[in-house]
Amino acid sequence: MTTNGSRPRMVTVRVQRFNPDVDEKPYFDEFQVELTPAKTILDALHEIKTAQDGSVTYRRSCRHAICGSCAMYVNGKNILVCNTPLRDKIDEEGTVTIRPLPYLPIIKDLVVDRSSFWEQYERVKPWLIPSADVPEKEFRMSSEEVAALNKAETCIMCGACYSACQVIAMNKRYVGPHALLKAFLRVLDPRDMAPSERLADVGDQDGVFRCHTIFNCIDACPKDLDPTKAIETLRKLAQKRQAFEAARRDRQRMLNEPIASS
Amino acid sequence: MRIFQMQRYSAIALLVFLTIHMIVVHYPPFHVDFTRIIERMGQPLWKAIDIAFLFFVLMHALTGTYAVIIDWERFYAYRRELVGAAALIFILAFVYGARTIWAFQPPA
Repeated sequence: MTTNGSRPRMVTVRVQRFNPDVDEKPYFDEFQVELTPAKTILDALHEIKTAQDGSVTYRRSCRHAICGSCAMYVNGKNILVCNTPLRDKIDEEGTVTIRPLPYLPIIKDLVVDRSSFWEQYERVKPWLIPSADVPEKEFRMSSEEVAALNKAETCIMCGACYSACQVIAMNKRYVGPHALLKAFLRVLDPRDMAPSERLADVGDQDGVFRCHTIFNCIDACPKDLDPTKAIETLRKLAQKRQAFEAARRDRQRMLNEPIASS
Repeated sequence: MRIFQMQRYSAIALLVFLTIHMIVVHYPPFHVDFTRIIERMGQPLWKAIDIAFLFFVLMHALTGTYAVIIDWERFYAYRRELVGAAALIFILAFVYGARTIWAFQPPA
């Protein structure tokens, strides 16, 4: 009974279980969890692990939708479970079904092997390659240049887009939306000195031209980013690399000029 | 990138040719009958349009099929063979189709 005397509403949480050392194929375990207004799906998983079955395995860290650890496939969609209220995901049968991110090898239960995710990320050289000729005071960016980045720098690398991508499902050679979003960020960054090489790298057959514009990455992104638009931009730039490079050189010259005192 | 460009350029061409095709063949603004169709198919300009249409249809279909097939990792290693097969199918289908269109003569 709750404090006001009413019976607590219980929700069935179905958790996909799989231990590759023991199980032949994944199966579901069902747990009953009390529904409270503020309870998130991650809270429900904690409750299951602490009070019902300590062997349930999942990744989590910050609980503030920043670290990207807790992306899971809930009721048919990749989401961060730490900032999703349990009540928002209850289906018509009063159930919430939690699975690991699709198309990635399962390590145990809800924990997946993200090796391919990070390998592809590394492929695009996500770090900044700065100019040797650093301006005296600061690099400058116009508000238009910042707006063109479309908040790409707020990606938390949760893997929701990567594992929602149908091309990744078929072919792990594809660079993937997460890495291409980072490449987009670097290519449009006026401080970066290697946009042409980056465009050559992502313009190969495993890069931007492998995307089929299915939009699953946009649908899955918990930060409302637009990897598809970033891929489209990279496609256009990859096809006119030389013109882009010339424009970049002019921009770089302007950046390195002394800042006019106002 | 070349496959992507071929498919996009052929898609733009198909927009034009499909519009012409739909208007002329399926929804003509005039009465359509056998005599008109035969007469049109015998004109060199329409033969050229139909051959160009065939060219872009084949280019679009084969580049699209190639792109979909190499999405499968198991076929990825056979890219060269797939390009060869696509080129062969293109040549055979285009020559056969173009010859058929060009050879048509309306009955006297």
